[in-house]
Amino acid sequence: MQFDDQGRVNKSKKRAVFNQPEAKNRVELFRHLPQYEHGSQLTDLESKFLELDSMHPAVYKVGVQYLAGDVTGGNARCIAMLRAFQEVINDYSTPPGKTLVRDLTAKISSYVSFLIECRPLSMSMGNAIRFQKSRIAKLPLTLSETEAKAALCNDIDRFINEKIILADKVIVRHAATKVRDGDVLLTYGSSCVVEMILLYAHELGKQFRVVVVDSRPKHEGQALLRRLLAKGLSCTYTHINAVSYIMHEVTRVFLGASSVLSNGTTYSRVGTACVAMVAHAFRVPVLICCEAYKFHERVQLDSICSNELGDSNDIARVPGRPDVNSMDNRTNEKNLQFLNLMYDATPSEYVSMIITDYGMIPPTSVPVIVREYRREYLLI
Amino acid sequence: MDFQVVVLAGGTSKKLVPLVSKEVPKALLPVANRPVLSYVLEQLELSNIKDLIVVVEGADAALCVGGWISAAYVDRLHVEVATVPEDVGTAGALRAIAHHLTAKDVLVVSGDLVSDVPPGAVTAAHRRHDAVVTAMICSVPVSGLSEAGSSGAKDKTKKPGRYNIIGMDPTKQFLLHIATGAELEKDTRIRKSILRAVGQMDIRADLMDAHMYAFNRSVLQEVLDQKDKFQSLKQDVLPYLVRSQLKSEILINGAPQGQQAKENGNDKVSYRILANASTPSFHELYALGPNGSAPVRRTHKCCVYIASNSKYCVRLNSIQAFMDINRDVIGEANHLSGYNFSAQNNIIHPSAELGSKTTVGPHCMLGEGSQMGDKCSVKRSVIGRHCRIGSNVKVVNSVVMNHVTIGDGCSIQGSVICSNAQLQERVALKDCQVLSLSTSVFLSLSSNEYL
Repeated sequence: MQFDDQGRVNKSKKRAVFNQPEAKNRVELFRHLPQYEHGSQLTDLESKFLELDSMHPAVYKVGVQYLAGDVTGGNARCIAMLRAFQEVINDYSTPPGKTLVRDLTAKISSYVSFLIECRPLSMSMGNAIRFQKSRIAKLPLTLSETEAKAALCNDIDRFINEKIILADKVIVRHAATKVRDGDVLLTYGSSCVVEMILLYAHELGKQFRVVVVDSRPKHEGQALLRRLLAKGLSCTYTHINAVSYIMHEVTRVFLGASSVLSNGTTYSRVGTACVAMVAHAFRVPVLICCEAYKFHERVQLDSICSNELGDSNDIARVPGRPDVNSMDNRTNEKNLQFLNLMYDATPSEYVSMIITDYGMIPPTSVPVIVREYRREYLLI
Repeated sequence: MDFQVVVLAGGTSKKLVPLVSKEVPKALLPVANRPVLSYVLEQLELSNIKDLIVVVEGADAALCVGGWISAAYVDRLHVEVATVPEDVGTAGALRAIAHHLTAKDVLVVSGDLVSDVPPGAVTAAHRRHDAVVTAMICSVPVSGLSEAGSSGAKDKTKKPGRYNIIGMDPTKQFLLHIATGAELEKDTRIRKSILRAVGQMDIRADLMDAHMYAFNRSVLQEVLDQKDKFQSLKQDVLPYLVRSQLKSEILINGAPQGQQAKENGNDKVSYRILANASTPSFHELYALGPNGSAPVRRTHKCCVYIASNSKYCVRLNSIQAFMDINRDVIGEANHLSGYNFSAQNNIIHPSAELGSKTTVGPHCMLGEGSQMGDKCSVKRSVIGRHCRIGSNVKVVNSVVMNHVTIGDGCSIQGSVICSNAQLQERVALKDCQVLSLSTSVFLSLSSNEYL
């Protein structure tokens, strides 16, 4: 839904579970994206906890975790959501006069719209929900309710195991072959697959060092850095404004992705495109590590038409540094608009190879995989 | 949402002795002409809770409370009134009704809490962190009267002897240390392991425990079963859970926490993906073994919810608190009282009669059927139903309950006059409490005496 369409926004507000006041000062170019006042969102949602009778507590908990930022990262959000849906299915019982297929699908749709209110869905979550709904729709009518519920929970387990966990193992094995002794590997932000690759290559005994590039406001690289250091890898830590200075030492760049689109564009954390471009200028190969379930048939040419806007207070202030906060009270000034983008689009020219669980493919082969392997949501 | 609510309505409390009696247990003391228990029940009703358990100490008190609840809330709430023997303490009361508790989590509210904090916020914080206990904390109320007639010069110099020390982590989500009241004469002891694990602890003395807790039911029942000596939730159970949060001896959901059998490696991997994605709390970091391997120590989380300053939250546990709450509910926190205020900012019931030249100031309340004589003046007070007040009476900063007769020329300041009392002419009362038996008062009393 485009958020500059006032009529539809008002309609969706009436169905909304909790009230979110919209941010007042928004950048004109991004008016089609939702942006809310972040200060009161969590307290509003929490105070409504006991009134939400129709909401399953597991789904509510996941929603609060998304809103508070307790759970971030495509895979983690997807797994958390699917586990919550498993609990929903386990606790579900068909009301009299309704069919399981239609009623459960309606329930899941309502929970999904609640989760969207908490935080817009990532593409991996969208694909997982589509898979879930298609499995519910394909349930044979002869099954009893308990059998149907068991089959659905089983499907969710298989999805998580095969599409995420096994896929990650395959990616790690492929990518570890690309790491040689003496390499300097650069990564940006914190991707769980890239972390697994680095740890696995280290366990295999390869000698390499890692450069972790990080950026404001989230500083996601710091958590990754801590975990790598705990395992004994030698790391360098820098911010994205220095990436062109450090790139001349680097031999390979490993990046994670939130999604890969059909024209080979990688949709990932903001800053990835910058890192990929600098690497391309220095002729350093860029490898994107992404599970196949995150591929999407959409085509996106820029980072504007679809994105997510974060909290503008995060860029206005530096936590723990009250002396640097000259921007802090200016969020309501008319001449000043804050823009905190969360995602960006890396064009396919900057990407050398995409490592997926279907193998190592060039970016142009993504639509082939989407077409061939996703048509019926085959499970391996 | 799998929450059960238990309201601890107490019995006849010792601290409120002149005010409470067999007919008026503590839960039914009037605040702005409504029983104090009704504030809790209204708040729960607003949060869409339909079933709750009210625990009362003592059979007589239980009869009164039960009768009032069934009259007032007959269709709106489904309330089960449970009677427990007197003087078992809050923990003992929960032990007695333990077999009624079936949900996954239990919200325990004290019946004398007057607040507009939504209980949903406390329960949401509890679920978000999968905590074992979540306590609601509010600022210590500034007590004492702002106008004339404050409690005498000698009380002004005495600092309040009760302190509350609350230690929280820097994100203000977890409770690290709690110590209240009498045990804090000289020093307080803090667990070094907790301090080392969390790194930085903020200690506040201006916050107090508001006695609204969300407990994990199985943990609560286990603690109550194992520790027979615990009498009070606030003094025993909560500090015990907070103290032992990094050396947990309790079983959560029937299985020791750190040893949940992971059936295959896939569960471990997904657990690790989820764990890596979220910022770990200091409990998880402490529980990990060397090199960040699988959890070796058992921990549980104690969360805290801090009521924001814009919300009103006070407990009725002393006579001073009773006066303050009455003053506040018709004063600053008048959204709690649920009445409509007139243009002069006071509530005068339509059937109340005022004599000529009688002034009723702002922030006052006159109950149904009360009659006031001529030339009276009422300032910041609550007058109950069917009172007969003579002429030339000054009532300042006081609470007058129902069916009271006050003769001419009286002056009542900072006092509480309970139901059915009679005052003769020209009595001056200052900071007193008059009992509710039909005593006739014809002396002048002052300063904290009670009759």
